[in-house]
Amino acid sequence: MSLPLTIEEAQAALRSGNVTSVELTDAALARIEALDERVGAFLEVNANARAQAEQADAELAAGTDRGPLHGIPFGLKDILATADQPTTANSLVLDPAWGAGYDSVVTERAREAGAVIMGKLVLSEFAIGAPDAEKPFPLPRNPWDLDRSASGSSSGTGIAVATGMVLGGIGTDTGGSVRGPASFNGHTGLKVTFGRVPKWGVTPLGYTLDSIGPMARSAWDCAAILNVIAGHDPRDATAATAPAEDYLDGIDRGIEGLRIGVPRAYFFDHPELEAGTKAAVEATIEKLATLGATVREVELPHSDVAKEANTLTMLSEALAYHRPDMGGARWSDYGSSTRMTIGRAALFSAADYVQAQRFRNWYATTAAQLMAEVDVLVVPTSPGIAPLSSEMADPARRIRQPSYTGPFNLLGYPALAIPAGFSEERLPYSAQIVGAPFAEALLLRVGHAYQQVTDWHRRVPPIVEESAT
Amino acid sequence: MPQATDVEATVRALLEAAGISASDDELAKFVEMYPALREGADRLWHDEWRYEEPALQFTPQPPPTPEG
Repeated sequence: MSLPLTIEEAQAALRSGNVTSVELTDAALARIEALDERVGAFLEVNANARAQAEQADAELAAGTDRGPLHGIPFGLKDILATADQPTTANSLVLDPAWGAGYDSVVTERAREAGAVIMGKLVLSEFAIGAPDAEKPFPLPRNPWDLDRSASGSSSGTGIAVATGMVLGGIGTDTGGSVRGPASFNGHTGLKVTFGRVPKWGVTPLGYTLDSIGPMARSAWDCAAILNVIAGHDPRDATAATAPAEDYLDGIDRGIEGLRIGVPRAYFFDHPELEAGTKAAVEATIEKLATLGATVREVELPHSDVAKEANTLTMLSEALAYHRPDMGGARWSDYGSSTRMTIGRAALFSAADYVQAQRFRNWYATTAAQLMAEVDVLVVPTSPGIAPLSSEMADPARRIRQPSYTGPFNLLGYPALAIPAGFSEERLPYSAQIVGAPFAEALLLRVGHAYQQVTDWHRRVPPIVEESAT
Repeated sequence: MPQATDVEATVRALLEAAGISASDDELAKFVEMYPALREGADRLWHDEWRYEEPALQFTPQPPPTPEG
């Protein structure tokens, strides 16, 4: 049998008796067997996955229903601690004792919700840099074109969702690591408000920027996942105390009267922004207008500087975490791209870091004034389609290109990446919907409304159908 | 305008201060990217946020009570 495409469909099929969790899990395992060697999504498949599915079926049969993730094949980026599997952070450096024998908060919550944990997913080492062929880890490949990047850092989750190896999963996002893979692999991904999802049991990258978010085909699916993972936990000092919402409640309400702001400068006029991507996002905005939204141009000044502030903050905080290893004997144990990226932080000063936080305050005040006038911003997720993998390791490329995701990590704002079309090369485009802090429910409602009248999020890479024949 | 040798000396000193033992090839790459990195960082030093407070927080906490 083939897997239902979405969590929404699978959870309905489970409850109507049209499918069992064991059937869903077997189909996912077959997909992994058929494709993973080529696309490099999994570090380790969970040997207990089928047993978890059997338990999920038994519980449902006995009348115990844990909600929409119950019995759903699900994946975790391998920087989330899992009691029953090792955690590597895709690195030779992480002490194997770290994360051993316990679950991160998000892992705990996924298990309590009845999700079938299919295994640990590939990422960019410690959630930064590019894949390194000289290290003993799978190389993630874009399922739409194996020569192209699957983005990072939550590359494995992106690939696994796009190919149906899982129906949903978890990524982390410090400068775009949920939204980038969602953009290049052609599915939906939500970067949550800073603190919305507790980070305890996850290796850090940028302490003041990191967030954990859902990755799945649709906005509905992301809402179902967020319902499980959002909410305070005292073990994370940065976890928000604001109560979590029911993110599925009202997701069907539509967007009549929604006020969309479109910041043209930087987000739509940068010379590195590809014309196809720009046109796709413009078309997304027009589609949202046909659903009842009003659109106006706005300004979010100095967003180019926000990219610099986000990068400087992220790298400085990362080097503080990694310096005992990176500044010691283990420099070469890190992947080439990882060490060349985090090592850049040594070239900044402490005053630069504080200045980045002064800019951050100014930018946050400016953005808050803007968000009093509009409900959401709509901008590109990435400046172009997935590049060739060989181009991703070039640090000059990252320095030269704009970041349309990092500024919203700097602000701590939530942002939803949604599929927005395809290029002539059959590669996904993505639009990003950005809201004020804790506006996740609104963003998911906008994404859901768009996905009721488009089917970009339901497109499957040809490699999947080829593997089934 | 700093001379190339000045940049190399600066980069070498900053990496050494962080305890980073980059190879000669890596040092060359850091030297090559340093002007662009410095230019990016220098863009943060702008009069518009000259008197802004930093987005940093430290909240002193009272000592724990004997009961914990």
